[in-house]
Amino acid sequence: MSSNNAVSLYLDPQIRDWVLFPITLVMILVGILRHYVMVLLQTPPKSLPRAALREQRALTRSQVLRATSANSPIPPTYYKSISRHLSEAFDAGTYLKDGPPKEGDTPKMPPNPMTDPAAMDGMMSGMKTQMVMMVPQMVIMGWINFFFQGFVLIKLPFPLTLGFKSMLQRGIETTDMDVRWVSSLSWYFLNFFGLNGLYRLILGGDNSADSSRDMTASPFGAQAQAPGQAQDYSKLFKAEKDNLEFSEGIYSWVGEGVEDRILRRYGKI
Amino acid sequence: MSLSHSALEKLATFRANNTRASQETFKNASTVLKSFKRLGDDGWAVLEQLFLASVDVGRLDVADECLRQLGKQFPDSPRVDVLTGIRMEATESPDVVLEYYAQLLDADSANAAIWKRKISVLRRTGKIEKAVEELSQLLDTFYTDVEGWLELADIYTSCNQYIPALQALSHVLLLAAQNPFYQLQFAETAYTAGDIPLALKAFLVAVEMSERDLSDKSPPVGISVRAWLGVKLCSRRLLLNSSPSASNTVVPKNLHLIEELATERVLGVYSSKSSSTRAPEGRDVVVGWVGDR
Repeated sequence: MSSNNAVSLYLDPQIRDWVLFPITLVMILVGILRHYVMVLLQTPPKSLPRAALREQRALTRSQVLRATSANSPIPPTYYKSISRHLSEAFDAGTYLKDGPPKEGDTPKMPPNPMTDPAAMDGMMSGMKTQMVMMVPQMVIMGWINFFFQGFVLIKLPFPLTLGFKSMLQRGIETTDMDVRWVSSLSWYFLNFFGLNGLYRLILGGDNSADSSRDMTASPFGAQAQAPGQAQDYSKLFKAEKDNLEFSEGIYSWVGEGVEDRILRRYGKI
Repeated sequence: MSLSHSALEKLATFRANNTRASQETFKNASTVLKSFKRLGDDGWAVLEQLFLASVDVGRLDVADECLRQLGKQFPDSPRVDVLTGIRMEATESPDVVLEYYAQLLDADSANAAIWKRKISVLRRTGKIEKAVEELSQLLDTFYTDVEGWLELADIYTSCNQYIPALQALSHVLLLAAQNPFYQLQFAETAYTAGDIPLALKAFLVAVEMSERDLSDKSPPVGISVRAWLGVKLCSRRLLLNSSPSASNTVVPKNLHLIEELATERVLGVYSSKSSSTRAPEGRDVVVGWVGDR
C-alpha cells in the first residue's frame, strides 16, 4: 500500500533544477566564502613581551624538577640548590611580570576582563568567529523558509523507519507521507551537518568552513579557556612552593646505591 | 620533474634529523631553485634548507636567490628575519649584525631564535662574558631549551669553569633524564672538575642506563665502553688515594669489586673471541693501561 502511495507522488524536475541544486550550491559556496573570510579576519597571535613569557613559564621550572624527584638524575647538592633557589624566588616574587611586590602594596585585584584590553581582544576574536558563522546561516535559513517552505525536494533511495520523520520532513505537517521524502528545511540541515567532508576535500584539513563544529563553542566559553588571562600568578607560585617542599621530601638520587645494583647484575655480590 | 624522488626523501630525512650534511644537501637541493613551486608547501622548507646549506658551503649567490624567493613569499616572517641575519653574518661585520638583531629584539623581546643568533655572534666574536649573561637570561625565560643549557655548559667548560658547567648540565639532566649521553658528559665534567666520587657515581648511572637492554654476557658496546673506562679510571684513582668531593658524595664501600668488574668489562671489549678476526684497534694500549697498577 505504502509503495503505491510513494509511486503516486511525482516531483517536478523543475524542483530539482531550481530548488535542490541551488540550495546545495549556495551552502557549499557560503562555506568556502566563510573559510576565506575567516582567513582574512584572523589576527596573528600576539607575541608576549619577555617578562610576561617568563612569568608564564616559571612554573615549568619547578614542574620539571618535581617530575623526576623520586628518582632524580641529579645529585643531592645540585637538587637542593635548585629547589631552594626556586622556592626563594617564588616566595619573593622574582618571576612576577611586574617584579617583586613592594612593601605596603595593596594586593591586586584580578583585572576586569571588560577593561583589560588584552582580554578584550581575545573575546572580540571569539565574537567575530561567531558572527561569521551565525549570520550567513541565519540568512540561508530565512531564504529557504520564505521561498521553499513545505517543498518536498528528494526521495531517498532506501527505506527508513518512522523515527526519522521529524528529521527528514521538517516543515511538513503530515502523518501519512513516506519517510523517504525529504523536505527543503531538512535538506538544509542535512547539508549543514554533512558538507564537512566535501569542504575538507576542497579546502584541505584545517579549514574553517564547517559551521556545525563551532555550534557548541560559545564566545564566552572560549574566553574562559584562554591561557594566562586574569591568572593570579603570585598565588600559583605560593602553591608551587609547597609542592617543592613535598618533592624534596620524596627526593632520592638515582646514583644512590647504583654500584650495588650493577654489582648484583653481574653477579659480584 | 627534475628532482628524483629519492633526493627529496633524503632532504626530508636531513630536515627531520637536523643533519648538517651541507655539501650533500647543496648537491641534492640546488636543482630545486627552478622548480620548487611544483613541490607545493614542501618547497619552501627545501628552499630554507638549501639556503642554510649554501651559506655553509660558501655559495652566497645561491643563498641570496633563496632568500629573495623566501622574502617574496613571506614578507614579515620572523623565520625569514633569522635567515637574513645568518646571511648578514656571512659577509657583514659583527657590529652591523648585532645592530640588526638588537633592532629585531626591540620589536619583539621574546623572539628566541633571534636571541640565540645574537648569543652565537657574541660568543664567536670573543665577548664571552656578554654571551654568558645573555644566555643565562634566555634560559631564565625559556627554561626547557636543552640545547641552550648544553651551550652554556660548553662555554663554561671552554673557560675551565667546571663547577658552573656541572650546574648547567644538571639542568640538562633534569630536562632529558632519559639520555645516557648527557649523563656521560656530566660524569666526564665532574671528573675534570676533580670531583672523583661524583664522577664514579655518574659513570655508573650512565652504565646502568646504556646497558639496560644488553644481555648479561655480551661485551659492552657504544657509549657504555666509554662509561666503563670512566668507571675504571675513577675507581683506580680512588683506590690509590681518597680524593675530596665538592658535592659530598660518599665513596662506595666495595670499591675493589667495582674496579675488578670494570677491568673485566673493559677487557671484554678488547679480547677478540673469534681468533679469525683482527684484534680491535688499540688493544695493546688498553690492555697495558688496564693491567698497569
